[in-house]
Amino acid sequence: MKGSNFSYLVKQGVVSVWYNRVMSFASFCILMVSLLLIGLAVLFSLDISVIIGNIEDRNEMLVFVDGDIDDSELSYISDVLNSQDYVSRVVFYSKEQAWEDEKLSEKYGSGATALFESVDENPMPTTYRVTLNDITKVHEAAERFRRIEGVDWVAAPYDFAEFLISVRNTFTIIGIAILSALVVVCLVIIYNTARASVFARRMQISIMKHVGATNSFIKFPFFIEGMFIGFLAGTASWYLTKVAYESVFSVFERDIMILQFLGFSNVMGFEAIKWYVLAANCLAGALLGAIGTILSMGKHLKV
Amino acid sequence: MVELKNVDVHYKEGGVDALNDVNLRINDGEFVFIVGSSGAGKSTLLKLLTRELSPTNGRVFVNGYNLSKLGARKIPKFRRSIGMIFQDFRLIPNLTVYENVAFVLRVTDRSRRFIRQRVPYVLNLVKLYDKARSYPSQLSGGEQQRVAIARAFASDPGLIIADEPTGNIDPELSYEIVELLKDINQCGTTVLMVTHEHDLVKYFGGRIISLKKGCVDFDDYIGGNNEG
Ligand SMILES: Nc1ncnc2c1ncn2[C@@H]1O[C@H](COP(=O)(O)OP(=O)(O)OP(=O)(O)O)[C@@H](O)[C@H]1O
Ligand SMILES: [Mg+2]
Repeated sequence: MKGSNFSYLVKQGVVSVWYNRVMSFASFCILMVSLLLIGLAVLFSLDISVIIGNIEDRNEMLVFVDGDIDDSELSYISDVLNSQDYVSRVVFYSKEQAWEDEKLSEKYGSGATALFESVDENPMPTTYRVTLNDITKVHEAAERFRRIEGVDWVAAPYDFAEFLISVRNTFTIIGIAILSALVVVCLVIIYNTARASVFARRMQISIMKHVGATNSFIKFPFFIEGMFIGFLAGTASWYLTKVAYESVFSVFERDIMILQFLGFSNVMGFEAIKWYVLAANCLAGALLGAIGTILSMGKHLKV
Repeated sequence: MVELKNVDVHYKEGGVDALNDVNLRINDGEFVFIVGSSGAGKSTLLKLLTRELSPTNGRVFVNGYNLSKLGARKIPKFRRSIGMIFQDFRLIPNLTVYENVAFVLRVTDRSRRFIRQRVPYVLNLVKLYDKARSYPSQLSGGEQQRVAIARAFASDPGLIIADEPTGNIDPELSYEIVELLKDINQCGTTVLMVTHEHDLVKYFGGRIISLKKGCVDFDDYIGGNNEG
């Protein structure tokens, strides 16, 4: 393609956005709303996965160590625990510490001091409190820890892990379903809107076919047009996404307790990710606009 | 050169035999009127020549291309060797006269320099250079068709195909349209023109091909009234 004709076709594409402004505006609005919904769906599902992740991070396995164990054996156990990929934190909890804590525990009431005095031998076990970074590995981890020399037994939050895993899977499936439904609906609507706009210019297309323009030449201005509208819609939807996201956020922010309980503390604020969202919106808009427009040209190219 | 050999066209929808065993040969530089009653197959014949349609049987040759063997990718190149004129002008309403003509050169990737020389030349030829900045809606039907002729001639095609170019124009103005096509023909371009207007045919004369129910009914030269 010659440079002058390339720029001519680009210009044609942009000018026709204005020339077919009613159709362009319709496509723009549809794309904008679709991108808003898609954007919010993506952001909230990312948030949910952050929240679930935060809750998962509070998992704790207890590794009970044999009573008669020396320091070198303890450090061996600690090394093995720390060397696993899926372990994020190991806290040593000595039997002495456990005994002290037990004495201070409220469950025995204030008059228990004498009772504790009468016990000579420390009955508490030494434990390691292990936190996993990947909760799906809980069974594997328990199995591995149990086989370490000097480990008595392992307590793991199996139910808690399974519950979280199923919650995460459910959210993933729902998220993907909503997202693909939105993309399909959006493409179908854009396809139909673009079809009306292509239909309005069927004469121009048929002239191009008759004088021997190649299909890529014919598609090019429509491609530019769809991309341009998509780009504008991406920018506009970005602003709407920001407003919507931040207002949902502010509702939750009023109750800091709930936020912290749910593990909201690490959830993404819009400020931090706004440029990524803008780039993603514009890219998705341009793609959806261009693809929808090109798809809609189908039968007009068969002359 | 245009050649049809034992061409049949059968439309599946409606089950119509639009052309039956048509044999034709039109040499370079000829000017031919194609006549026939409605439904005789005139437009079908033209669509074969532009490769909008493939024959059910038989072979079609145009400008040295064997259209039966022309792959989809080669159609654009072939079409650049023909110019088309339609009854309804088909000018793009939001482009000026100049831009309408330049448009077809741009979308067939001609150089900027060629376009800048060629467009004024063809607009002068149809005597519309002074309307170059007008929009189609600001022109009369006859003027619009002259723009369409300029557009068809812009790519300097070997063959111009016109399907009832005078159909939407005042009868008095039809003559100047045919005169223009004759001028273009004088430059060496083959012209095929479908028409319903017997007065035009009688006036200009020349080679006449008459179709009747999909068959060539008459193919010969007649003298015109304008001669002598
Ligand atoms: N796309 C099509 N599908 C089915 N039948 C068609 C199609 N195009 C034309 N026909 C039929 O083929 C026959 C020839 O049509 P054609 O358009 O070639 O006639 P024509 O000579 O150009 O007529 P007119 O003078 O009215 O333009 C007619 O009977 C018409 O109904
Ligand atoms: Mg016809």
